Amino acid sequence: MAVGDLAHGPIRTVGTIAATVTVTALLLLTVALLVEARGVLGVRFFLDPPSRVAELGGVGPALTGSLWLTFLVTLFAVPVGVGTAVYLTDYAPPNRTARVLGSVLANLAGVPSIVYGMAGLALFARGLGLGPSILAGALTLSALAIPMIVANCRNALDAVPDEIRWAAFSLGATRWQVVCHQVLPAAAPGIVAGCCTALLRVVGAAAPLLILGAVSFTTFAPGSPTDPLTALPTQIFAWAARPQEGFLALAAGASVGLLLLMALMHLVLYALRRSQWGESR
Amino acid sequence: MSGSGSALPVLSTESLTVWFGERRALTDVTIEIPRAQVVSIIGPTGSGKTTLLRSFNRMNELIPGANTEGTVRFGGIDLYDEAVDPVEVRRRIGMVFQQAMLFPGSVFDNVAFGLRAKGVEGDLHGLAEEVLTKVGLWSRGAEVLESRALDLSAGEQRLLAIARALALKPDVLLLDEPAAALDPTAAASVESVIHVLRQNHTIVLATSDHSQAGRLSDLTAYLDSGRLMEYGATLELFTNPRSERTESYLTGRLP
Repeated sequence: MAVGDLAHGPIRTVGTIAATVTVTALLLLTVALLVEARGVLGVRFFLDPPSRVAELGGVGPALTGSLWLTFLVTLFAVPVGVGTAVYLTDYAPPNRTARVLGSVLANLAGVPSIVYGMAGLALFARGLGLGPSILAGALTLSALAIPMIVANCRNALDAVPDEIRWAAFSLGATRWQVVCHQVLPAAAPGIVAGCCTALLRVVGAAAPLLILGAVSFTTFAPGSPTDPLTALPTQIFAWAARPQEGFLALAAGASVGLLLLMALMHLVLYALRRSQWGESR
Repeated sequence: MSGSGSALPVLSTESLTVWFGERRALTDVTIEIPRAQVVSIIGPTGSGKTTLLRSFNRMNELIPGANTEGTVRFGGIDLYDEAVDPVEVRRRIGMVFQQAMLFPGSVFDNVAFGLRAKGVEGDLHGLAEEVLTKVGLWSRGAEVLESRALDLSAGEQRLLAIARALALKPDVLLLDEPAAALDPTAAASVESVIHVLRQNHTIVLATSDHSQAGRLSDLTAYLDSGRLMEYGATLELFTNPRSERTESYLTGRLP
């Protein structure tokens, strides 16, 4: 009865207030962004390249760059990240090496993104001679995403009961069959959600791309991974730093664009969940 | 120690000791399981019944820290020999766990899993019908194949777990507490299935239900603290136990 009292008493009140504050703050931020960007938003804005004249500027190249980055990071980081997580949960012998590898990866997930920018600059832009290209950006962001994907996917895989594995083994399945036919399908919702969370985080990161030397003034949209690196977060940063009136509205507009991109990714995730696992949950 | 006059035992252990890290779960167990017999393993909780069952199809090694000493033979083969593939062992020696441990998905998915893993092609539906008939689940008709496994009642789930193991046509069936935590009707139906299966299979079952051991098994082994205390014909062991320890366990006087 005491617990019931608490749930309906002060804790409930505090919880309601906290939730209201959070939602209100987010709404206010979004509204402020929309008000600031009201003059620029339109189809033209999302297609045109940036311009010296604020009124003519658009996020076409930056949006294309961010789409490229999303695509390439998914291509690079998801297989490596999921593969590593599967190795660590279902293949690695429970020894010291595996534990050390696991905790190194867990710690890498906490390293600030700007440090990845420096490493990417040294390794990909200069070391591999990729320069400030979309590809160098994608590789750097993949390095940032992989530890997060590994951590999220390990949680999802650990949540699959060992009984499922035992049952499959007892029926004469090889470890590969156990993983492919029972463990991965059971963990799939968590794996997809874990990958999307990591992708959303890195696609919004500006710091590593700035270090790599992302351009914010390009007249054409990148058409291949070797084209100059440009992306929405760095475009926002460049415009927000301009003193002239009018560019702030562009930065706000680009932020709305970034939010829309993320909303789109959330929608894809939602659709995936509904289609594949909706009926079985 | 064998209570049967038949030839070579199908399964046998010699000085079997199993460790889980620092803990010794089985100590120096030597036992022979004759072909086409039902053997019950009884004993208090934690006495090593499940560990002994799992050592017959190399399931213990999936637990980190497990270490097996001594030998386990299947026919003439040393099961723990380096050349022996544990996957093949588990196909020949089937196991049903204390919980049904069904896969999410349909009844058919559960029955077909082991067959597909083995690479069996062809009439999986026919094979599914065959084993589901054996355990009495086919009485619900062919629709049962598409039912969701986890929607079945507890008793039916246990029967499906048996059917799933039978699909691989194993020589030996290991049943861990086959009727535990079931209502009396469901337990009775599981037992009647075991009665039918004994005609074609060697069955080793772990149980803490003495009367079940009495009803089902030809031979009974009494394990205590990981040691085999007594092994012999079921009737003999229950009515005239050789060791005092067995007698006190059977009469419920064990501390």
